[in-house]
Amino acid sequence: MTTTEYTETDEIVIDVDTADDPLVVGSDVAVNRIGPENTRPRRAASFYILLPLIFLTVTLLGGMRIGSTDSAFIFLKPPLICLVFAAVLMILFFRARLIVLDGWFNERFSGLKHAANATVVLSVFAASTQLFNSLLPEKGLPFWVVGFCFLWTLWNNLFAEFDTKKLLRSLGALFGLAFVVKYLILANLTAPNSQGWIQRIFENPAKEAFTWVLDLSRYGAATGYLQFLAVILFLIGLLLTPHSTTSHQRD
Amino acid sequence: MNERYIQILGISLTVIGFVFIAFLYWTEPRTIAEMTTKSQVVLGTYEIDKAKFASGLVSFRKDSFPDARAAFDQADPEKRDAATQFYVAYSYYRQGWGRLSNDDALFKPGLDAINRVIVIDPHFRSYDENLKMKMPVELKNELEEGLKITPSDFNPMKLLRERK
Repeated sequence: MTTTEYTETDEIVIDVDTADDPLVVGSDVAVNRIGPENTRPRRAASFYILLPLIFLTVTLLGGMRIGSTDSAFIFLKPPLICLVFAAVLMILFFRARLIVLDGWFNERFSGLKHAANATVVLSVFAASTQLFNSLLPEKGLPFWVVGFCFLWTLWNNLFAEFDTKKLLRSLGALFGLAFVVKYLILANLTAPNSQGWIQRIFENPAKEAFTWVLDLSRYGAATGYLQFLAVILFLIGLLLTPHSTTSHQRD
Repeated sequence: MNERYIQILGISLTVIGFVFIAFLYWTEPRTIAEMTTKSQVVLGTYEIDKAKFASGLVSFRKDSFPDARAAFDQADPEKRDAATQFYVAYSYYRQGWGRLSNDDALFKPGLDAINRVIVIDPHFRSYDENLKMKMPVELKNELEEGLKITPSDFNPMKLLRERK
């Protein structure tokens, strides 16, 4: 990364990160070289520790629900369709050059670097799977409707011309809308689980009818907050993901 | 820190993270306490709560079977101890036993419990002198016979039999 500063003595100081891109510098500028020893560990820590940590957190939270009556943890394994969606999403990441294949897996890299990069990509895949698990309604008509919408959008995106920014905006909108549908609209149509079924019918006849007709799952309110965190973390993780493990910044 | 060490650390942390998440989704603990117990099972350090087991045994000997089972459940929440599960099955048998007819609603969970004992330790044998049936197969046979309706159920001599 190159940054230019003008000092009080009108001397131009250029900080050059020479990790991968050695620059030819003219004779009229002073150059402070930020050597690999300064930036590489920080970048490597960001790639290989921070990113997997973010995606693993999403993987953990994606299938986690909180029981409505006893606030117990409920861990839902992802349905098969979530793996399919995540695989399509990975293809989208490669097509939109969010992850440049050559920059992550290259014959010039050592075996260790390949392994480290593979674990990061694997954590992105796991987080994607669990994010779909989080945003897809668990069963009934909403599962099929929202699942079809995901499939339709991802399938269309596969053939669209994308760049990284457009893809991230599109995914933000897709996941945001899915979150609103599941954790605001459908959650508000679900009758609470705290009373007996006769009492529930008398007190919330419309909600009880929607719950029964749409086969909605009843979870504690904390579930929505957890899944909001998962969606936000996933998008932050994608923003922090570099195109390539050799270049330093996103376009 | 050298980049290679960071890569090794990253791989290790990610693998540990995946193992932890897989463990959670596989065992599906409902509380933090349950998470701890299930971790002990996986690590092979699981032990029953001996004080709760002793308290359950006292209730069992006083024929206070629901109390005994509650204590046994607390002593062995993961249902992995053959001796505790044998007493659980025995408590269902003794509570459900009747001179005229047995209570199927109690014999069925008793049968489940004794099947667990056979899975945990097929060669289990109780050394409790107060129990007439020492082997899981004996108790299982008694529970299975109790659940069936056979011509021998209508034998008037059955009124003279004793609870084991």
